Amino acid sequence: MPLKTLKKEDAETLTLEWVLHVKNYRLTLDRKLCVGCEICSLACPKEAIKLVKQPKTADGKAQRAKVDITLEKCNFCGICDILCPYGAIKVTINGEHVLNVVQKESFPLLVRDIQVDAAKCPVDCVECEKACPLSLIKVSWETPDGKVLEDVSSVSDELRKGLKVNVDVYKERCPCCRICEFKCPEGVLRVRKAFYGVIRIHPEKCPDGCRDCLDVCPITGALYLSETDKKVHVNEVFCVYCGACKVVCPVNEALELKRTKIMHTPVRSGAWNKALERLASPLEITKELKAKGSLKALDSVERRFVRRAT
Amino acid sequence: MAEKNEAQTQQKPEELRIGVFICHCGLNIAGVIDIKELVEYAKTLPDVVYVKDNRYTCADPGQEEIRKAIKEHRLNRVVVAACSPRMHEVTFRRTVSEAGLNPYLFEMANIREFSSWCHPSTPKEATEKAKDLIRMAVAKARLLMPLQTIEVPVTNKALVIGGGIAGMNAALDLAEMGFKVYLLEKSESIGGHMAQLDKTFPTLDCSICIEGPKMVDVGRHPNIEIISYADLLSVSGFIGNFKVRIRKNPRYVIAENCTGCGECKDVCPIEYPNEWDMGLGTRKAISVPFDQAVPLVYTINRDYCIECYKCVDACGARQAINFDQKPEEIELEVGAIIVATGYDIYLPYDNPLYGYGRYTNVITSLEFERLILAAGPTGGKVVRASDGQKPHSVAFIQCVGSRDTNKYPYCSNFCCMYTLKHVVQLKEKYKEDIEVYVFYMDMRTNFKGFEEFYQRARELGVNFIRGRVSRIFEDPKTKNLIIHAEDANLGMPIEVEAEMVVLATAAIPKKGSEEIARILNLTRGADGFFMESHPKLKPLDSPTDGIFLAGACQGPKDIPYSVSQGCGAAARAATVLSKKTWKIEPIIAVVDPSKCRNVTTKCGICAERCPYGAIKIEEKKPAQVVTAMCHGCGTCAAECPADAIQQMHFTDAQILAQLRTALEKDPEDKILAFLCNWCSYAGADLAGTSRFEYPPTIRPIRVMCSGRVDRDFVLEAFRLGAGMVLVAACHLPYDCHYISGNWKMKARMDALAPMLHKLGLSPERFRVEYISAAEGVKFAELIREMTEQLRALGKERIKAENEKLRPILENMLKRKEKR
Repeated sequence: MPLKTLKKEDAETLTLEWVLHVKNYRLTLDRKLCVGCEICSLACPKEAIKLVKQPKTADGKAQRAKVDITLEKCNFCGICDILCPYGAIKVTINGEHVLNVVQKESFPLLVRDIQVDAAKCPVDCVECEKACPLSLIKVSWETPDGKVLEDVSSVSDELRKGLKVNVDVYKERCPCCRICEFKCPEGVLRVRKAFYGVIRIHPEKCPDGCRDCLDVCPITGALYLSETDKKVHVNEVFCVYCGACKVVCPVNEALELKRTKIMHTPVRSGAWNKALERLASPLEITKELKAKGSLKALDSVERRFVRRAT
Repeated sequence: MAEKNEAQTQQKPEELRIGVFICHCGLNIAGVIDIKELVEYAKTLPDVVYVKDNRYTCADPGQEEIRKAIKEHRLNRVVVAACSPRMHEVTFRRTVSEAGLNPYLFEMANIREFSSWCHPSTPKEATEKAKDLIRMAVAKARLLMPLQTIEVPVTNKALVIGGGIAGMNAALDLAEMGFKVYLLEKSESIGGHMAQLDKTFPTLDCSICIEGPKMVDVGRHPNIEIISYADLLSVSGFIGNFKVRIRKNPRYVIAENCTGCGECKDVCPIEYPNEWDMGLGTRKAISVPFDQAVPLVYTINRDYCIECYKCVDACGARQAINFDQKPEEIELEVGAIIVATGYDIYLPYDNPLYGYGRYTNVITSLEFERLILAAGPTGGKVVRASDGQKPHSVAFIQCVGSRDTNKYPYCSNFCCMYTLKHVVQLKEKYKEDIEVYVFYMDMRTNFKGFEEFYQRARELGVNFIRGRVSRIFEDPKTKNLIIHAEDANLGMPIEVEAEMVVLATAAIPKKGSEEIARILNLTRGADGFFMESHPKLKPLDSPTDGIFLAGACQGPKDIPYSVSQGCGAAARAATVLSKKTWKIEPIIAVVDPSKCRNVTTKCGICAERCPYGAIKIEEKKPAQVVTAMCHGCGTCAAECPADAIQQMHFTDAQILAQLRTALEKDPEDKILAFLCNWCSYAGADLAGTSRFEYPPTIRPIRVMCSGRVDRDFVLEAFRLGAGMVLVAACHLPYDCHYISGNWKMKARMDALAPMLHKLGLSPERFRVEYISAAEGVKFAELIREMTEQLRALGKERIKAENEKLRPILENMLKRKEKR
C-alpha cells in the first residue's frame, strides 16, 4: 500500500496518521483535555504545532486557543505527548503507546511527583476528590475481603473500621497544581510541581473588565478576581505555568509568565536542551547544564544565546 | 577561431582560375545528357580556364586528372559536375586537398540525380538543366573562400549524470579506458532502480547480488569519483571543454570520517517513511537508504531529526557528524558528458478506476517488489496492508498508464516481463496456496529467453486474461477487491475477486528532466524522454556535441539494454576524450561586428533563434558565436535583421549568386527550390536514384538546413521573376537535424506568405513543403504538381504579377541595403 498521511478532525479529537504498509504512526489530540496552553507548541522540535486563537463566546467569555498540528511537519516523535501537562496528546506506534525518544534516552519524562499516604485518610473524607479542578482523583474503599466500594455513606460504623481507603490519582493527566495537597486536612497528599516559574499580572495594564485569563485558566484558584479592584490576580501556589492565560491575554506585558525549571528524569540530549530553552529560557538551560557539567553543550547554548541577543 | 574566419572573408581573392570536370558516369549521365555540349558550354562561363570530361570522375584516373589539372593549370577553384554532393563531395574535397587546394574551394553540380536520372525522356531539357546547374555551381565557386577546419582542445575527463545501472556501466568503462570520471548522483547512493528490485527477469537472479559488486567496483575505482547527494546547477562550454557546476547537499555527516558502522542509526529515536521502500517501511533520521549503499555514508534528514545529538555521542572519537555542514558548490571541467538520469514510476493517484491510494490492498509493482524482497520492510513476506495476512489470490493489471492515449501513449517496455517475474515468484513460493490472475492487452516477450519465461508462467497455472479492467471495487468488510473486466477471448464481461491487486504502472520521465534538459540544452520528445540526435544512427548522441545519452532517460529500458547503452555511450564519449583536440567543420556562423545591431540597440534575435544556444549576447557588444557549439545550420544568418551574420560556405553572396544565375534565362518557367541537406535534398536525390521522372523545371539550391533560407532570398527570386519558389524542409516536429531549424523557417515563411499574397502573388507560386529523405515519390509528385500549376497560371499572368511586384520588392530589398 502506498504511504498514506492522514489528518482527521472532529469536535473532540484531532488525529494525525502515517499509515505504512507495515507500520502505523498515530497522534491523537483529545480536545476535551486540551486547555490551549503553549507547552506543546513551544516544545515541538519541528514547529509543527500552532495555537489558533478563538473568538469570544456570545456572552463575552474568552475561549481557550485551539491547537492545530501541521501533518507535513510532524515526525511523530512524541515530545508533545511527554510534555503536555494535561495528558491531552497521545502518540502511538501500531496502536501501542511507545515513546522511542524516551527508550533511546533522547528525551526525559516529565516527573509528576505525587505521593499519597492513604493509610492516614479518615474514612469519611473526600476533600481531595472534591478539590481537584480536573476531577483526576478518585477515592474508593476496600473491605477486608477485597471488595471495592464506591460509596460509604450507608456503611455501618462496624464495617467502617475495617475499611481501607484508596486514593487514585490519574497521574498522566495531572498538571500538579497542588490544590489537593492544600485541601487535604490530614497532610496525606504531597505534590511537587512539574513546572516551576514566575507569573505576574500587572493590573494597571489590564483593560477594564478584562478577565480573559481567568476565563481560560483550568486550575480553579490559580487566578481569581479581586473584590477590591475588580482585576484578576494570581495565586502562585496553584499555578502550573502552562501559559494558557498568556496565550489569550490581549495586552502585551500585562501578564508575564516565565518557566524556570521543569522536573524531568535525568537525560543528556540536545533535543531536551532545545525544548527547555524554548519552554524556559537559555538562562535556565545554562543553569541546568552547569549542574550536569555538560560544558560542550553549555558552550553551544551560550553561543546561540549571544547570537540571538545581538 | 572566429577571427581567423573573418580574416578569410576579407581576404582579397586572387585571379580566379576555375576548372570544371564533367562526369559521364558511364552512361548514367552521358546516356541522357549531351556531354560535348556541356563541355563547350562550360568553357564559355566566366573565369573557367579548364574543362574536362571523364568517364568516371570519382574513379582513380578521374581523380588523378583533377589533381594533375590543378597543378598544370594553376586551378584555384574546382567544380565537378557529376552525382549528388551527398555521395562524393567528401571524396573530391580530399582529391583537391591532395593537390594542395583548400578543400572548401570545391563545388559540385549534381547533374545525375537532379538531371539525367530524373529527366530521361527529355534529353534536351535535361541538358539545359545540367547547364544551369553547372553555371550555378561555377557562380558559387567564384565566391568560395578557403576555410580551415577548427580544432578545440579536449579535457579528457568525463561527467556521468546518474548512478543507475546505465550510468555505472558508462563510468566503469570510461574509467577502465583510463579516463577520469565524475559520477554525479542526486540521491544518497548509486544503484538506481535496479537496487530496489528483488529478482531480475528472466533468469530470476537476485538483483542486488549482481549489482552490489558492480556498485562496489564503481566506489573503489581509482579513476571514478562519486559525487552523491548532489545537484547539477549549470553547464557551460562545449564539446571537449565543458564547465560544470555542482551543489553538494549537506549530509551533516563528514564522508571521510564516516565508517558506515551504523552505531548512530541504532541510537537514533526518530523514524520516517523510507522513499527507497516506496514508503512501505521506515528508516531512521540518520541512516543509509539500504544496507549496500555506495558510498556507505550516513545522512541525517533534518526534516525529521530532533537534534538530540545521541548520534554524535555514538559516533564518538570518529567525529563524523557535523550539524553545521553547509551546501558546497564545486566546479568541474570535463570533455564529455553522459546523461543517464533514468526514469520514475507513475503512481496512479489520478486514475479513480483502480482505486490506488484509496483501497488499501491495491499496490504498484514496485511496491510489490519491495514486499517480496527478503531485505524489504516485511522481510520478504507478501502481506496485505489491511490485515497483515498473506493474500490467497492476487490480480496483476498491466498497462496502467502506459499505452493509454489519455495518459502515456507509449509502451513502457519492461512491465510485461516484470509481471511475469512476479507471478512466477508468487507461484513458486506459495504453490497451490495462491491463485494468480494477469489482466493484459498484449504480452510483449520479444527478447532472449522472454517467451520461454512466459511459457513457464503459464505452466505454473497462472490465469492470463486478455482484456482491459474497467473498474475495481473494494469489499468494505473483507477489503478484498472485485475486478470488473472484459475477457476479450470470451468476448464477455467478467468479474474476479482478488485479495490483492498489483498495478504495472508506466515508466515516466524522471522528475527534474525538464531542468536537466534546460541545463544541457537537450530536447525532449512528446513523451518527455530525452531525444537522441538520430533515432537510428545516433541513438546515444544528444543533439549537443559531446553530450551522450544512456539508459532509460531516453525511453523505458530493461537492465541489459541499459547496460549496453551505458557501455555504448562510454565508447561514444571516448571518441571525444581520446583525442587531444576535436575537429569542427568550419561551415559555422560568423558575426561581422561592424554590422551587428546589438552594439547600438538591444537585439539578440540570433541568440534567441539559435537552436544550440551557441550565440552569446552581452549588452552593447556584438553577438558572439561559440564556434564549438555552432552546428552550422545558418538559422541565425537568415534571421539577422542587419545581415551581420554569415554562414561560412553558405554565405548570402554565394547563395544569391546561385539564385541569380539560376534565374538568368526564362525565370518565369522555373521553380527555384531551397532544399535542406538532410531531408529534402536527400529526398530529391532518392527521386533521382529511383528514376522517378518529373519535369525539368526545378533549379535547386542546397542549404544545410531550411532555417538558412533568408526571406530576402525569396524576395530576390521573385524580383528576378521566378515562376515559383519552393522551400523544402525536414518534417515537423522532430525531424530537423538542427533541432528546430525547420520551425524557425516555418515561422519566417508563415509571416512572409500572406504579405506576398497581398501584393498580388498567386498563392501557389510560393510553397513551403516538408519532404523526408525517404520521400522520393513525394518530391517527384510535388514537382509535377507545381509544374502543372505553373503551366496553368501561364507565363503571361506570371509576368504581369512580376511587373506589379518588382518595384515593391526592389524597394524592400534596397531599404534593407541602406540600413
